[in-house]
Amino acid sequence: MSNLISMKNVDLSYASTAFKERSLKTAMTNLLRPKNRRIEVQDIKALKNVSVDIRSGERVGLLGHNGAGKSTFLKVVAGLYPISAGTRTVRGVVRSMFDLSLGFEPDATGRENILYRGLLLGLTPKFMRAIEDEVVAFADLGEFIDYPIKTYSAGMLVRLAFAITTAVGGDVLLLDEVIGAGDANFMLKARQRIRELIEKSEVLLLASHDFATLRSTCERGLVFHHGELRFDGAMDACIDEYKQLNGLAQ
Amino acid sequence: MADSYFGGVWAARHFWIHLAMSDLRSRWRRSFFGILWTLIQPLGMTLLISFVFSNMFHTSIREYAPYILSGIVVWDFVVACAIGGSLSFVQADAYIKQYGHPLAIYTLRAVLTNLVVLLLATSGLVVWVLAVMPDRFGWPWLAATTIFPIVALIMWPSSTLLAYVATRFRDLPHALNLILQAMWFVSPIYFEEKAFRGAKLDYLVDYNPLYHLLQIVRAPLLQGEWPTTTNYAYCFGLVAVLSFAAWLFGRSVEKKVIFYL
Repeated sequence: MSNLISMKNVDLSYASTAFKERSLKTAMTNLLRPKNRRIEVQDIKALKNVSVDIRSGERVGLLGHNGAGKSTFLKVVAGLYPISAGTRTVRGVVRSMFDLSLGFEPDATGRENILYRGLLLGLTPKFMRAIEDEVVAFADLGEFIDYPIKTYSAGMLVRLAFAITTAVGGDVLLLDEVIGAGDANFMLKARQRIRELIEKSEVLLLASHDFATLRSTCERGLVFHHGELRFDGAMDACIDEYKQLNGLAQ
Repeated sequence: MADSYFGGVWAARHFWIHLAMSDLRSRWRRSFFGILWTLIQPLGMTLLISFVFSNMFHTSIREYAPYILSGIVVWDFVVACAIGGSLSFVQADAYIKQYGHPLAIYTLRAVLTNLVVLLLATSGLVVWVLAVMPDRFGWPWLAATTIFPIVALIMWPSSTLLAYVATRFRDLPHALNLILQAMWFVSPIYFEEKAFRGAKLDYLVDYNPLYHLLQIVRAPLLQGEWPTTTNYAYCFGLVAVLSFAAWLFGRSVEKKVIFYL
Protein backbone atom coordinates (compact mmCIF):
# COMPACT_ATOMS: atom_id res chain seq x y z
CA MET A 1 0.00 0.00 0.00
CA SER A 2 1.05 3.56 -0.53
CA ASN A 3 2.73 5.78 2.02
CA LEU A 4 0.45 8.18 3.80
CA ILE A 5 3.26 9.90 5.62
CA SER A 6 6.74 10.33 4.27
CA MET A 7 9.50 12.34 5.94
CA LYS A 8 12.96 12.67 4.45
CA ASN A 9 15.87 14.14 6.40
CA VAL A 10 13.59 16.45 8.33
CA ASP A 11 15.22 19.06 10.55
CA LEU A 12 13.30 21.44 12.74
CA SER A 13 14.69 24.20 14.88
CA TYR A 14 12.94 26.67 17.09
CA ALA A 15 14.34 30.14 16.54
CA SER A 16 15.80 31.49 19.76
CA THR A 17 14.07 34.81 19.08
CA ALA A 18 10.84 33.05 20.01
CA PHE A 19 11.78 33.13 23.68
CA LYS A 20 13.97 36.18 23.99
CA GLU A 21 13.22 39.76 22.97
CA ARG A 22 9.51 39.47 23.49
CA SER A 23 8.95 43.20 23.34
CA LEU A 24 10.01 46.20 21.30
CA LYS A 25 11.53 47.57 24.49
CA THR A 26 13.92 44.66 25.06
CA ALA A 27 14.76 44.53 21.36
CA MET A 28 15.85 48.15 21.53
CA THR A 29 17.69 47.96 24.84
CA ASN A 30 19.55 44.91 23.53
CA LEU A 31 20.84 46.98 20.62
CA LEU A 32 22.33 49.44 23.08
CA ARG A 33 23.84 46.83 25.40
CA PRO A 34 27.54 46.05 24.82
CA LYS A 35 28.02 42.85 22.86
CA ASN A 36 29.91 40.85 25.51
CA ARG A 37 27.17 41.46 28.06
CA ARG A 38 24.46 39.80 25.97
CA ILE A 39 23.29 36.39 27.00
CA GLU A 40 23.54 34.07 24.03
CA VAL A 41 20.52 31.84 23.64
CA GLN A 42 20.96 29.18 21.00
CA ASP A 43 18.31 28.00 18.57
CA ILE A 44 16.87 24.68 19.68
CA LYS A 45 17.18 21.77 17.29
CA ALA A 46 14.05 19.80 18.08
CA LEU A 47 14.32 17.32 15.20
CA LYS A 48 17.55 16.20 13.58
CA ASN A 49 17.61 14.41 10.25
CA VAL A 50 14.45 12.37 10.76
CA SER A 51 13.35 10.06 7.95
CA VAL A 52 10.22 7.90 8.28
CA ASP A 53 7.69 6.31 5.95
CA ILE A 54 4.33 5.25 7.33
CA ARG A 55 1.84 3.25 5.33
CA SER A 56 -1.90 3.03 5.49
CA GLY A 57 -3.18 0.77 8.28
CA GLU A 58 -0.17 1.18 10.55
CA ARG A 59 -0.39 1.93 14.25
CA VAL A 60 2.77 3.61 15.37
CA GLY A 61 3.81 4.40 18.92
CA LEU A 62 6.28 7.18 19.69
CA LEU A 63 8.63 6.80 22.64
CA GLY A 64 11.21 9.10 24.10
CA HIS A 65 12.20 11.11 27.12
CA ASN A 66 10.57 14.48 27.79
CA GLY A 67 11.76 16.88 25.14
CA ALA A 68 12.97 14.11 22.83
CA GLY A 69 10.91 15.41 19.93
CA LYS A 70 7.78 13.23 20.01
CA SER A 71 5.29 16.07 20.16
CA THR A 72 7.28 18.15 17.73
CA PHE A 73 7.23 15.23 15.31
CA LEU A 74 3.44 14.93 15.65
CA LYS A 75 3.02 18.65 15.06
CA VAL A 76 5.15 18.43 11.94
CA VAL A 77 2.94 15.59 10.69
CA ALA A 78 -0.11 17.71 11.48
CA GLY A 79 1.38 20.53 9.40
CA LEU A 80 1.43 22.94 12.33
CA TYR A 81 5.19 23.38 12.50
CA PRO A 82 7.25 24.43 9.50
CA ILE A 83 10.31 22.25 8.92
CA SER A 84 13.74 23.85 8.55
CA ALA A 85 15.12 21.27 6.12
CA GLY A 86 14.11 18.06 4.37
CA THR A 87 10.79 17.10 2.84
CA ARG A 88 7.45 16.31 4.38
CA THR A 89 4.61 14.61 2.53
CA VAL A 90 1.36 13.80 4.29
CA ARG A 91 -1.62 12.68 2.28
CA GLY A 92 -5.16 12.55 3.54
CA VAL A 93 -7.04 14.34 6.27
CA VAL A 94 -5.14 14.64 9.57
CA ARG A 95 -7.00 14.66 12.88
CA SER A 96 -5.04 15.50 15.97
CA MET A 97 -5.59 15.46 19.70
CA PHE A 98 -2.85 17.43 21.36
CA ASP A 99 -3.46 19.59 24.38
CA LEU A 100 -7.07 18.70 24.97
CA SER A 101 -8.28 21.62 26.98
CA LEU A 102 -7.18 23.86 24.11
CA GLY A 103 -9.81 25.02 21.71
CA PHE A 104 -12.70 24.46 24.06
CA GLU A 105 -14.82 27.36 25.22
CA PRO A 106 -15.08 26.99 28.99
CA ASP A 107 -18.33 28.92 29.30
CA ALA A 108 -20.16 26.94 26.66
CA THR A 109 -21.81 23.60 27.36
CA GLY A 110 -20.40 20.28 26.24
CA ARG A 111 -23.01 20.07 23.52
CA GLU A 112 -22.13 23.54 22.17
CA ASN A 113 -18.46 22.66 22.28
CA ILE A 114 -19.09 19.66 20.07
CA LEU A 115 -20.25 22.09 17.41
CA TYR A 116 -17.42 24.55 18.05
CA ARG A 117 -14.72 21.91 17.94
CA GLY A 118 -16.23 20.56 14.74
CA LEU A 119 -16.12 24.01 13.16
CA LEU A 120 -12.51 24.39 14.29
CA LEU A 121 -11.75 21.15 12.47
CA GLY A 122 -13.21 22.66 9.31
CA LEU A 123 -16.55 20.86 9.30
CA THR A 124 -19.98 22.27 8.56
CA PRO A 125 -22.66 22.97 11.19
CA LYS A 126 -24.97 20.63 9.30
CA PHE A 127 -22.52 17.73 9.53
CA MET A 128 -21.89 18.38 13.21
CA ARG A 129 -25.60 18.35 14.01
CA ALA A 130 -25.88 15.02 12.21
CA ILE A 131 -23.19 13.37 14.35
CA GLU A 132 -23.98 15.17 17.61
CA ASP A 133 -26.02 12.33 19.11
CA GLU A 134 -23.34 9.80 18.31
CA VAL A 135 -20.67 11.95 19.98
CA VAL A 136 -22.84 12.51 23.04
CA ALA A 137 -23.50 8.79 23.35
CA PHE A 138 -19.83 7.89 23.03
CA ALA A 139 -18.57 10.53 25.47
CA ASP A 140 -21.23 9.22 27.89
CA LEU A 141 -21.12 12.21 30.23
CA GLY A 142 -24.75 11.91 31.34
CA GLU A 143 -26.41 15.20 32.21
CA PHE A 144 -23.02 16.95 32.23
CA ILE A 145 -23.17 17.28 28.45
CA ASP A 146 -25.48 20.27 29.01
CA TYR A 147 -23.22 21.84 31.67
CA PRO A 148 -20.52 24.42 30.91
CA ILE A 149 -17.30 22.53 30.33
CA LYS A 150 -15.45 24.56 32.95
CA THR A 151 -17.20 22.24 35.40
CA TYR A 152 -15.61 19.16 33.78
CA SER A 153 -12.81 17.09 35.21
CA ALA A 154 -9.68 16.37 33.15
CA GLY A 155 -10.96 12.90 32.35
CA MET A 156 -14.32 14.20 31.17
CA LEU A 157 -12.63 16.69 28.85
CA VAL A 158 -10.57 13.90 27.37
CA ARG A 159 -13.67 11.81 26.78
CA LEU A 160 -15.44 14.63 25.02
CA ALA A 161 -12.44 15.59 22.90
CA PHE A 162 -11.73 11.99 22.02
CA ALA A 163 -15.36 11.38 21.11
CA ILE A 164 -15.45 14.39 18.79
CA THR A 165 -12.08 13.85 17.16
CA THR A 166 -12.66 10.19 16.44
CA ALA A 167 -16.27 10.67 15.32
CA VAL A 168 -15.41 13.15 12.60
CA GLY A 169 -13.01 10.68 11.05
CA GLY A 170 -9.90 11.30 9.03
CA ASP A 171 -7.06 9.38 7.45
CA VAL A 172 -4.35 10.12 9.99
CA LEU A 173 -5.09 10.23 13.72
CA LEU A 174 -2.49 11.83 16.00
CA LEU A 175 -2.69 11.36 19.77
CA ASP A 176 -0.30 12.90 22.26
CA GLU A 177 -0.35 11.15 25.69
CA VAL A 178 -4.00 11.81 26.10
CA ILE A 179 -6.04 8.67 26.20
CA GLY A 180 -4.44 7.73 29.51
CA ALA A 181 -6.64 10.26 31.31
CA GLY A 182 -9.91 8.39 30.83
CA ASP A 183 -11.10 5.84 33.40
CA ALA A 184 -10.84 2.09 32.82
CA ASN A 185 -14.31 1.85 31.35
CA PHE A 186 -13.60 4.59 28.86
CA MET A 187 -10.19 3.21 27.96
CA LEU A 188 -11.87 0.00 26.88
CA LYS A 189 -14.24 1.91 24.62
CA ALA A 190 -11.43 4.12 23.34
CA ARG A 191 -9.30 1.12 22.39
CA GLN A 192 -12.28 -0.45 20.69
CA ARG A 193 -12.84 2.71 18.69
CA ILE A 194 -9.19 3.08 17.72
CA ARG A 195 -9.29 -0.51 16.47
CA GLU A 196 -12.34 0.36 14.37
CA LEU A 197 -10.58 3.38 12.96
CA ILE A 198 -7.53 1.33 12.08
CA GLU A 199 -9.70 -1.24 10.37
CA LYS A 200 -10.88 1.52 8.09
CA SER A 201 -7.22 1.58 7.03
CA GLU A 202 -6.22 4.74 8.78
CA VAL A 203 -2.94 5.66 10.37
CA LEU A 204 -2.56 6.18 14.10
CA LEU A 205 0.42 7.91 15.68
CA LEU A 206 0.43 7.74 19.47
CA ALA A 207 2.98 9.41 21.71
CA SER A 208 2.96 7.94 25.19
CA HIS A 209 5.02 6.89 28.17
CA ASP A 210 2.68 4.06 29.05
CA PHE A 211 4.19 0.79 27.81
CA ALA A 212 0.97 -1.18 28.32
CA THR A 213 -1.05 1.19 26.16
CA LEU A 214 1.66 1.26 23.53
CA ARG A 215 1.95 -2.56 23.45
CA SER A 216 -1.78 -3.07 23.16
CA THR A 217 -2.42 -0.41 20.52
CA CYS A 218 0.67 -0.21 18.36
CA GLU A 219 2.74 -2.81 16.55
CA ARG A 220 5.44 -0.45 15.31
CA GLY A 221 7.44 1.94 17.42
CA LEU A 222 9.72 4.91 16.93
CA VAL A 223 12.21 5.94 19.61
CA PHE A 224 13.24 9.57 19.76
CA HIS A 225 16.31 10.64 21.68
CA HIS A 226 17.43 14.29 21.82
CA GLY A 227 15.71 15.07 18.55
CA GLU A 228 17.07 12.09 16.66
CA LEU A 229 15.14 9.08 15.52
CA ARG A 230 17.16 6.28 17.12
CA PHE A 231 15.03 3.23 16.48
CA ASP A 232 12.27 2.19 14.12
CA GLY A 233 10.84 -1.30 14.42
CA ALA A 234 8.57 -3.68 16.30
CA MET A 235 7.00 -2.29 19.46
CA ASP A 236 8.58 -4.76 21.89
CA ALA A 237 12.08 -4.19 20.56
CA CYS A 238 11.33 -0.50 20.58
CA ILE A 239 10.50 -0.50 24.29
CA ASP A 240 13.74 -2.37 25.04
CA GLU A 241 15.71 0.18 23.02
CA TYR A 242 14.00 3.03 24.84
CA LYS A 243 14.85 1.51 28.22
CA GLN A 244 18.46 1.02 27.17
CA LEU A 245 18.84 4.57 25.91
CA ASN A 246 17.45 6.03 29.08
CA GLY A 247 19.25 3.71 31.45
CA LEU A 248 16.12 1.92 32.60
CA ALA A 249 17.15 -1.60 31.58
CA GLN A 250 17.65 -4.12 34.38
CA MET B 1 -0.11 29.78 -2.97
CA ALA B 2 -2.49 32.73 -2.74
CA ASP B 3 -5.21 30.66 -4.35
CA SER B 4 -5.04 27.85 -1.82
CA TYR B 5 -4.60 30.32 1.03
CA PHE B 6 -7.91 31.99 0.32
CA GLY B 7 -9.36 28.58 -0.38
CA GLY B 8 -8.45 27.75 3.21
CA VAL B 9 -10.06 30.96 4.46
CA TRP B 10 -13.23 30.08 2.57
CA ALA B 11 -13.20 26.48 3.78
CA ALA B 12 -13.01 27.72 7.39
CA ARG B 13 -15.86 30.21 6.96
CA HIS B 14 -18.17 28.44 9.39
CA PHE B 15 -15.48 28.67 12.01
CA TRP B 16 -14.61 32.35 11.76
CA ILE B 17 -18.24 33.37 11.37
CA HIS B 18 -18.94 31.44 14.55
CA LEU B 19 -16.02 33.14 16.34
CA ALA B 20 -17.19 36.59 15.27
CA MET B 21 -20.75 35.86 16.34
CA SER B 22 -19.64 34.60 19.74
CA ASP B 23 -17.50 37.74 20.16
CA LEU B 24 -20.58 39.86 19.50
CA ARG B 25 -22.71 37.80 21.86
CA SER B 26 -20.24 38.17 24.69
CA ARG B 27 -19.83 41.89 23.95
CA TRP B 28 -23.52 42.51 24.31
CA ARG B 29 -24.47 39.91 26.87
CA ARG B 30 -23.30 41.41 30.11
CA SER B 31 -24.71 44.92 29.91
CA PHE B 32 -28.11 46.41 30.57
CA PHE B 33 -28.36 48.29 27.29
CA GLY B 34 -26.75 45.43 25.38
CA ILE B 35 -26.70 46.11 21.69
CA LEU B 36 -27.88 49.69 22.26
CA TRP B 37 -24.49 50.63 23.70
CA THR B 38 -23.11 50.47 20.20
CA LEU B 39 -25.45 53.34 19.29
CA ILE B 40 -25.43 55.27 22.54
CA GLN B 41 -21.68 55.47 22.98
CA PRO B 42 -20.79 57.34 19.73
CA LEU B 43 -23.93 59.48 20.01
CA GLY B 44 -23.01 60.58 23.52
CA MET B 45 -19.44 61.37 22.46
CA THR B 46 -20.74 63.32 19.49
CA LEU B 47 -23.03 65.46 21.61
CA LEU B 48 -20.22 66.26 23.98
CA ILE B 49 -17.55 67.00 21.40
CA SER B 50 -19.79 68.95 19.03
CA PHE B 51 -21.01 71.10 21.89
CA VAL B 52 -17.45 72.03 22.82
CA PHE B 53 -16.01 72.33 19.32
CA SER B 54 -18.88 74.25 17.80
CA ASN B 55 -18.45 76.89 20.48
CA MET B 56 -14.67 76.91 20.09
CA PHE B 57 -14.68 77.13 16.30
CA HIS B 58 -17.98 79.01 15.97
CA THR B 59 -19.59 76.51 13.63
CA SER B 60 -23.21 75.45 13.59
CA ILE B 61 -23.75 72.39 15.75
CA ARG B 62 -26.48 71.20 13.39
CA GLU B 63 -23.99 70.57 10.59
CA TYR B 64 -20.99 69.82 12.73
CA ALA B 65 -22.48 67.10 14.93
CA PRO B 66 -23.11 64.57 12.10
CA TYR B 67 -19.64 65.39 10.78
CA ILE B 68 -18.16 64.36 14.11
CA LEU B 69 -20.39 61.32 14.38
CA SER B 70 -19.28 60.07 10.97
CA GLY B 71 -15.68 60.61 12.06
CA ILE B 72 -16.21 58.77 15.34
CA VAL B 73 -17.87 55.66 13.93
CA VAL B 74 -15.30 55.13 11.16
CA TRP B 75 -12.31 56.00 13.36
CA ASP B 76 -13.57 53.70 16.14
CA PHE B 77 -13.69 50.92 13.58
CA VAL B 78 -10.13 51.61 12.45
CA VAL B 79 -8.80 51.72 16.02
CA ALA B 80 -10.72 48.61 17.11
CA CYS B 81 -9.45 46.66 14.10
CA ALA B 82 -5.87 47.86 14.54
CA ILE B 83 -5.59 47.27 18.30
CA GLY B 84 -7.95 44.31 18.57
CA GLY B 85 -6.72 42.83 15.32
CA SER B 86 -3.09 43.03 16.36
CA LEU B 87 -3.91 40.78 19.33
CA SER B 88 -5.93 38.30 17.36
CA PHE B 89 -3.22 35.65 16.92
CA VAL B 90 -2.23 35.86 20.57
CA GLN B 91 -5.88 35.46 21.59
CA ALA B 92 -6.48 32.58 19.22
CA ASP B 93 -3.37 30.66 20.30
CA ALA B 94 -5.46 27.71 21.49
CA TYR B 95 -6.94 27.31 18.02
CA ILE B 96 -3.70 28.00 16.17
CA LYS B 97 -1.94 25.28 18.16
CA GLN B 98 -4.68 22.79 17.38
CA TYR B 99 -5.37 23.29 13.73
CA GLY B 100 -3.50 24.87 10.85
CA HIS B 101 -6.13 27.22 9.49
CA PRO B 102 -4.84 30.22 7.51
CA LEU B 103 -4.00 32.80 10.18
CA ALA B 104 -5.83 35.56 8.35
CA ILE B 105 -9.12 34.06 9.54
CA TYR B 106 -8.36 35.29 13.06
CA THR B 107 -7.91 38.89 11.94
CA LEU B 108 -10.93 38.49 9.68
CA ARG B 109 -12.85 37.56 12.83
CA ALA B 110 -11.87 40.87 14.44
CA VAL B 111 -12.70 42.84 11.28
CA LEU B 112 -16.05 41.11 10.90
CA THR B 113 -17.02 41.71 14.52
CA ASN B 114 -16.17 45.38 14.25
CA LEU B 115 -17.91 45.64 10.90
CA VAL B 116 -21.20 44.63 12.51
CA VAL B 117 -20.63 47.28 15.18
CA LEU B 118 -19.86 49.85 12.46
CA LEU B 119 -23.01 48.88 10.59
CA LEU B 120 -25.12 49.52 13.68
CA ALA B 121 -23.34 52.73 14.55
CA THR B 122 -23.78 54.13 11.02
CA SER B 123 -27.50 53.45 11.23
CA GLY B 124 -27.50 56.00 14.05
CA LEU B 125 -25.78 58.48 11.74
CA VAL B 126 -28.29 57.83 8.94
CA VAL B 127 -31.25 58.43 11.25
CA TRP B 128 -29.65 61.61 12.57
CA VAL B 129 -29.01 63.06 9.10
CA LEU B 130 -32.51 62.12 7.93
CA ALA B 131 -34.01 63.90 10.91
CA VAL B 132 -31.85 67.01 10.87
CA MET B 133 -30.88 67.48 7.21
CA PRO B 134 -33.48 65.56 5.16
CA ASP B 135 -32.63 67.59 2.04
CA ARG B 136 -29.35 65.62 1.69
CA PHE B 137 -31.18 62.39 0.92
CA GLY B 138 -30.71 61.15 -2.65
CA TRP B 139 -29.04 58.69 -5.03
CA PRO B 140 -25.49 59.44 -3.83
CA TRP B 141 -26.41 57.68 -0.59
CA LEU B 142 -25.92 54.44 -2.49
CA ALA B 143 -22.22 55.28 -2.68
CA ALA B 144 -22.06 55.57 1.11
CA THR B 145 -22.72 51.84 1.44
CA THR B 146 -19.40 51.12 -0.33
CA ILE B 147 -17.64 52.26 2.85
CA PHE B 148 -18.26 48.83 4.41
CA PRO B 149 -16.42 46.63 1.89
CA ILE B 150 -13.71 49.27 1.44
CA VAL B 151 -12.98 49.78 5.11
CA ALA B 152 -12.99 46.01 5.65
CA LEU B 153 -10.56 45.50 2.77
CA ILE B 154 -8.27 48.14 4.23
CA MET B 155 -8.35 46.86 7.80
CA TRP B 156 -8.12 43.13 7.11
CA PRO B 157 -4.59 43.28 5.66
CA SER B 158 -3.60 46.01 8.14
CA SER B 159 -4.64 44.04 11.18
CA THR B 160 -3.03 40.91 9.73
CA LEU B 161 0.26 42.75 9.32
CA LEU B 162 -0.01 44.14 12.84
CA ALA B 163 -0.91 40.73 14.25
CA TYR B 164 2.24 39.18 12.74
CA VAL B 165 4.34 41.85 14.41
CA ALA B 166 2.40 41.85 17.70
CA THR B 167 2.93 38.10 18.12
CA ARG B 168 6.66 38.75 18.05
CA PHE B 169 6.62 42.02 20.01
CA ARG B 170 3.91 41.82 22.63
CA ASP B 171 4.07 45.50 23.55
CA LEU B 172 3.10 46.62 20.05
CA PRO B 173 -0.47 47.59 21.02
CA HIS B 174 0.89 50.26 23.38
CA ALA B 175 3.07 51.74 20.66
CA LEU B 176 0.15 51.46 18.28
CA ASN B 177 -2.02 53.54 20.58
CA LEU B 178 0.45 56.38 20.29
CA ILE B 179 0.74 56.10 16.52
CA LEU B 180 -3.02 56.06 16.08
CA GLN B 181 -3.39 59.07 18.33
CA ALA B 182 -0.87 60.94 16.20
CA MET B 183 -2.73 59.92 13.04
CA TRP B 184 -5.98 61.11 14.54
CA PHE B 185 -4.47 64.46 15.39
CA VAL B 186 -3.25 65.25 11.88
CA SER B 187 -6.39 64.04 10.10
CA PRO B 188 -9.75 65.67 9.47
CA ILE B 189 -11.58 63.16 11.64
CA TYR B 190 -13.13 65.43 14.28
CA PHE B 191 -11.55 68.66 13.08
CA GLU B 192 -13.13 70.15 10.03
CA GLU B 193 -11.51 70.11 6.63
CA LYS B 194 -11.66 73.88 6.41
CA ALA B 195 -9.74 74.22 9.68
CA PHE B 196 -6.78 72.48 8.05
CA ARG B 197 -7.12 74.44 4.80
CA GLY B 198 -7.43 77.70 6.73
CA ALA B 199 -4.10 76.96 8.42
CA LYS B 200 -2.47 76.21 5.04
CA LEU B 201 -2.24 72.52 5.92
CA ASP B 202 -3.93 71.40 2.70
CA TYR B 203 -1.55 68.45 2.29
CA LEU B 204 -2.88 66.90 5.49
CA VAL B 205 -6.23 66.70 3.76
CA ASP B 206 -5.43 66.12 0.09
CA TYR B 207 -2.83 63.38 0.56
CA ASN B 208 -4.46 61.81 3.60
CA PRO B 209 -6.07 58.44 2.84
CA LEU B 210 -8.19 58.82 5.97
CA TYR B 211 -9.76 61.97 4.55
CA HIS B 212 -10.60 60.21 1.30
CA LEU B 213 -11.98 57.22 3.16
CA LEU B 214 -14.22 59.43 5.27
CA GLN B 215 -15.38 61.32 2.19
CA ILE B 216 -17.04 58.12 0.97
CA VAL B 217 -19.59 58.51 3.79
CA ARG B 218 -19.41 62.23 4.24
CA ALA B 219 -19.86 63.38 0.66
CA PRO B 220 -23.18 61.56 0.19
CA LEU B 221 -24.64 61.81 3.71
CA LEU B 222 -23.51 65.29 4.71
CA GLN B 223 -23.23 67.09 1.38
CA GLY B 224 -25.65 65.08 -0.76
CA GLU B 225 -22.90 64.57 -3.35
CA TRP B 226 -21.17 61.58 -4.92
CA PRO B 227 -17.68 60.82 -3.62
CA THR B 228 -15.05 61.76 -6.20
CA THR B 229 -12.98 59.31 -8.22
CA THR B 230 -9.94 60.62 -6.34
CA ASN B 231 -11.57 59.49 -3.09
CA TYR B 232 -12.03 56.01 -4.49
CA ALA B 233 -8.58 55.97 -6.07
CA TYR B 234 -6.95 56.66 -2.70
CA CYS B 235 -9.02 53.96 -1.00
CA PHE B 236 -8.32 51.27 -3.57
CA GLY B 237 -4.69 52.30 -3.72
CA LEU B 238 -4.47 51.79 0.02
CA VAL B 239 -6.19 48.40 -0.26
CA ALA B 240 -3.69 47.33 -2.93
CA VAL B 241 -0.61 48.53 -1.03
CA LEU B 242 -1.68 46.98 2.28
CA SER B 243 -2.76 43.69 0.73
CA PHE B 244 0.55 43.40 -1.09
CA ALA B 245 2.49 44.21 2.08
CA ALA B 246 0.51 41.66 4.11
CA TRP B 247 1.03 39.02 1.43
CA LEU B 248 4.76 39.74 1.18
CA PHE B 249 5.28 39.72 4.93
CA GLY B 250 2.96 36.79 5.57
CA ARG B 251 4.79 34.68 3.00
CA SER B 252 7.85 34.55 5.22
CA VAL B 253 6.36 34.71 8.72
CA GLU B 254 2.93 33.03 8.57
CA LYS B 255 4.27 29.53 9.31
CA LYS B 256 6.53 30.70 12.13
CA VAL B 257 3.84 32.48 14.14
CA ILE B 258 3.08 29.28 16.08
CA PHE B 259 6.57 29.31 17.63
CA TYR B 260 5.92 32.71 19.15
CA LEU B 261 2.62 31.84 20.81
